[in-house]
Amino acid sequence: MNLDSVDDAELVKLTADSHTDALQELFDRYNRLVYSVALAILGDRSVAEEATLDVFVHVWRGARTYRPERAKVNTWLVAITRYHAIDILRWQNSRPDVKGLSLDDTLRNDGSTAHDPEAAAELSLQQARVREAVAQLPPEQRQVLSLAYFKGYTHQQISEILRQPLGTVKTRIRLAMQKLRQTLLDEEPTSDKSEGT
Amino acid sequence: MVDDLHVLESLPAYALGSLDKEEARSVSEHIAGCYLCRQELAAFQRVADQLPLALPEAQPGSDLAPRLMARIQSLNVKQPPKPAVWRFPMRLSPVGAAAGLLLLVLLAVSNLLLWQRLTHLEVLRGPLGMRAIALQNTTAAPSASGFVIMGADGQNGVLVVDKLPQLDAAREYQVWLVRDSGYTAGSAFSVDESGYRGVRLTAPESLLSYSRVWVTIEPAGGSAQPTGEQVLDGSLFNP
Repeated sequence: MNLDSVDDAELVKLTADSHTDALQELFDRYNRLVYSVALAILGDRSVAEEATLDVFVHVWRGARTYRPERAKVNTWLVAITRYHAIDILRWQNSRPDVKGLSLDDTLRNDGSTAHDPEAAAELSLQQARVREAVAQLPPEQRQVLSLAYFKGYTHQQISEILRQPLGTVKTRIRLAMQKLRQTLLDEEPTSDKSEGT
Repeated sequence: MVDDLHVLESLPAYALGSLDKEEARSVSEHIAGCYLCRQELAAFQRVADQLPLALPEAQPGSDLAPRLMARIQSLNVKQPPKPAVWRFPMRLSPVGAAAGLLLLVLLAVSNLLLWQRLTHLEVLRGPLGMRAIALQNTTAAPSASGFVIMGADGQNGVLVVDKLPQLDAAREYQVWLVRDSGYTAGSAFSVDESGYRGVRLTAPESLLSYSRVWVTIEPAGGSAQPTGEQVLDGSLFNP
């Protein structure tokens, strides 16, 4: 069965019906995205690979829980990855690579992962938009954003790590998110072919 | 002033998950009843959801795909779709179904009768040797409460939880039976708007053979072993 042109949500549905080829296709489309998120959070390639496998095993076991009306498939996958990776960090009680988070490298772009050329182009465009928006933020805002989102630190913890007043951290996070909202949501496309909605 | 009445300033951090627990709970309670703040939060959540797309893509090892398929095959061999261990029984014999239904009714009635009396007790013995065990909440869900109600022989039981925070689409709660030799994974479940849910417990051995019951937060669909924060904990030892 050729699944190249099947949309993401349908692939999840097929996966829920135990079609391993659908899971394989989802993996082909999104393994690099999932791995990139896991690596950014965990900072170790082998642990990030294990986390990536865990995520797709979770997809295999929990595909029925996916609700297309609540999130796009790539959003769902990224959310699972983020929570799982942060949980691994907490489980290990260590969070390496505090400074090495890669939102500072956002101008570097090496393309998209998806097989379907149209979906690949769309994902690539989406990545370019987000990278550009993040790259426009001042470095200190990118830093607090990274620590909050990718490491799961609270305001208070970030304040202690960076030795900055709590109010400064809160303000930076708020300003960064407001700026991203203004940039990203104003440009947000109105439809998403890859989701088939 | 709008910001004094609402929680608008906290919403960007709430969407990132970076508020302290107390602050997060306060925001959570506010947005439950505030359409404006829910709308604002949804916008910030869409922004947060896109952040991972800014990461430079990394390439995992080329053997990852075969490793995934090997793991899936292994799961399929070791854990068929409806494993005998710890799943809701989907097909019951007529006698089993009737007995199960009767038990559920008994458990539900007992639950209602015992709920208020349990607040200060860890274990309460009920009619016909039934027991209800109060679970302790943790700082991850300080308002939550839960009980395990089980039959005299420990062959059947029900977990009832209340006031557990609703989770996003990517996460679910999962129940675990614990003893020295390890964990037995139970069902993953979500809760309704008030944080309530009842989950039937069945195990390959008597529930009395386990020492503790845990509820943790796991990725949607559940985990093979506990990975997330624990929200409820209780001892199953026969007092």
